[in-house]
Amino acid sequence: MAEIRKLKAIILEGDVDAVVESLGEKGLVQFIHMPEKLEVDRGVTVSRIVQTEALATCSDLLSKIELSFEHLGLTSEGPPSEVVLITDEPVCDVLAEVEQELAKLPVETLSKCLALASRIDQMIEAFGVKPEEVEVKQVTLEKPIPDVLARVERELSEVEKATETTDLTDSFSLMQRMKNLIIQDKIDFGSRLFGLRNSVTESERLFIEHLLTLRQLISAVSDSIGLETELEEIRKKLLTLRKTVEKEKGIAREEEKFVKSAKTIYFEAWVPEYNVSEVTERIKKVTGGNSIVADESPARDDKLPILFKPVPSYITAFEKLVYAFGYPSYGDINPIRLLAITFPVLFGIMFADVGQGAIFVIIGILLTLYRRRVNLEEVGDIVQYLLVSGEMFVFLGISAIFFGFLFGEFFGPSGVIHPISLGRIGPFYFGGFEPTHEPMRILRFAILVGAIHTSLGLVLRFLNEIKHGHHKLAPIPICWLWLLWGSMFMWVYWGGISNISMWFAEGNLMLAGLIVLPLVLILGFTARAEGFMEGIGFTVEVFAETLSHSMSYGRLMALGLIHSAMNYMFLVLGGVEHGHFPIQSIPIIATGTILVMIIEGLVVFVHTLRLHWVEWFSKFHSGEGIPFKPFRSTQ
Amino acid sequence: MDPGLISLMGIALAIGGPLISAAFAIIVCGTALAGVGTEKPELLSRLIITVVLGEALAIYGLLIAFMLLSQLPNITTIEAAYKALISGVIIAVAAVSAAAGIGYCGSSLIGATAERAETFSSNVIGVVLSEALAIYGLLIAFMIIGQI
Repeated sequence: MAEIRKLKAIILEGDVDAVVESLGEKGLVQFIHMPEKLEVDRGVTVSRIVQTEALATCSDLLSKIELSFEHLGLTSEGPPSEVVLITDEPVCDVLAEVEQELAKLPVETLSKCLALASRIDQMIEAFGVKPEEVEVKQVTLEKPIPDVLARVERELSEVEKATETTDLTDSFSLMQRMKNLIIQDKIDFGSRLFGLRNSVTESERLFIEHLLTLRQLISAVSDSIGLETELEEIRKKLLTLRKTVEKEKGIAREEEKFVKSAKTIYFEAWVPEYNVSEVTERIKKVTGGNSIVADESPARDDKLPILFKPVPSYITAFEKLVYAFGYPSYGDINPIRLLAITFPVLFGIMFADVGQGAIFVIIGILLTLYRRRVNLEEVGDIVQYLLVSGEMFVFLGISAIFFGFLFGEFFGPSGVIHPISLGRIGPFYFGGFEPTHEPMRILRFAILVGAIHTSLGLVLRFLNEIKHGHHKLAPIPICWLWLLWGSMFMWVYWGGISNISMWFAEGNLMLAGLIVLPLVLILGFTARAEGFMEGIGFTVEVFAETLSHSMSYGRLMALGLIHSAMNYMFLVLGGVEHGHFPIQSIPIIATGTILVMIIEGLVVFVHTLRLHWVEWFSKFHSGEGIPFKPFRSTQ
Repeated sequence: MDPGLISLMGIALAIGGPLISAAFAIIVCGTALAGVGTEKPELLSRLIITVVLGEALAIYGLLIAFMLLSQLPNITTIEAAYKALISGVIIAVAAVSAAAGIGYCGSSLIGATAERAETFSSNVIGVVLSEALAIYGLLIAFMIIGQI
């Protein structure tokens, strides 16, 4: 983990935008929010109010740009035509320029054009006449475009009013009404009406002609300003403008973190050690030397952001599992590499099976090969998860195969493989038995694995305390280890939990030395470092956690048995006996395997994760770290 | 009463209780998860733990029921039959208590994580501790079956 330095700088107010711009170009620093610390300065500095104004202008411009997109019916997606407009200028100037550019764009004319055209089209459609059937004389553009548009709009309103008052658009019903009158009334009156009917048809034709002329005018206007090409250009321009405003907004937002004093601006930032010289140079260059820059080691109580080194691709899946819980605090040991070992081991104990482990390995290899061919960005969410976890499947599979050999499982307790024993320490058997037949042996094995896992966590806690220089707290994990292995020893020595009464009779000295003494020491050390009440609380917590977390590793046995039992169910259904798989059992076993690998695999995976997140991480990994997120002005 | 019948009641309890519990936990957490998924889909991958832990309850029940079923030929005395019944009761009660915990803590965890993602690591404790209740019941039920 690289060192983080705290950079302090004083610059002139006029240079501030340029400095932020320059530092944001490559993402070098993470600015610290200063107004929160104002009271420390006792009134020497004040927060900047200017930025609120700039932010408001930004939002205003952004909404204007969005509105333009909407009026012109353009999509707001896609890359901008050119890179951001202006650089190295104060935020306010850039925003003013953007506003001017926005005003220059013929958004209004274009949107009016589009609106009028669609209105005319709608009316022509309402008349129910095909435009091709009516002949219209060619029109030419004479007046300036805004006048033409105004004229078209006026005439269109007139036509609209006329058709509304005469109900002309509904000409069919008008004709029908007249026809009825002709039949009912006198003939001479009827003949006049007949004439009237003709004139209606005639005027309808006239209206259509008028409308089409207007439509042509609009088309001519559109052509004259090159609507199609223009629209695309405007779209790109708008995108560029939007990006510029967004960038300036980012800068303005970062500057909110600064404080000012008279005409100078003071800011602090986190900088990785290897960037310090570059940052200092950039500030000096941009401000022309009118700046004071200093860097110092962070204070002990500072909440430092953490720089993460990229991990090798074969453990990225484990990295995701760790960071999903939380980032390690500054200076803590990052447990990714250890987790890449312990995770498959715990998974393998619960999912012990040679056959299914081999399938996992094959799936893992296929996924890894496939991942090299496809672009991870293009595939869906779930496929992406699977592809990233390719190597993890291989690890899990290998572990499952290993424990499958120890417990004699091949697609369940089929009898193909005989359990291989690695040996035995006291009551703890390392393989050489079938879990379904000897549940107590696997339970003891699970508790032992749990104790080892917990101890690993406690050792990491000890190392973390040493690294942080918390020497008062450092003995606590040691005492905790003492307690853990002391109680394990007593459990074994007195022959299991059923003889617990003997702990308090013959074994009372042992109890005092192995369990009571470490607890008292933990109480003492915590009380010395953090106070008496905290000490009592923490000691009770340690006692309860030692008990409940050790019990919790019993799930290794429970889920291992579940796995075995589920497979056994399908073996029985398929009629498999003594390691002999009849042909007709294959489809049943295949279905069972798929079911077990998906449902049970998921459950086992989550339980492994839970054992790590809760039982293991609670010992040393707070998950409260903040990752280093430098400010970048460009994406 | 016939020992076979008593053990069958135990099996029914061992599978029925955990199934209802799992359903409750999944219904409560699953609906909450669906709601959060529409707003913040990036959180789904870690919040799915609530639903899977709920589902695990059903598997515990399945295991105990299956083990009782395989022990059925050995259950001849009334004493053994009561052991079978009681192990079924234990896993059913343990699963119900775990489901209540997972359901309430899980849905609150999902809501809280959507609001402030950094609280996840402390809030998840409620869910996993509730889930541990079922494991305790499972272990005891197991030991009782081992004595049949």
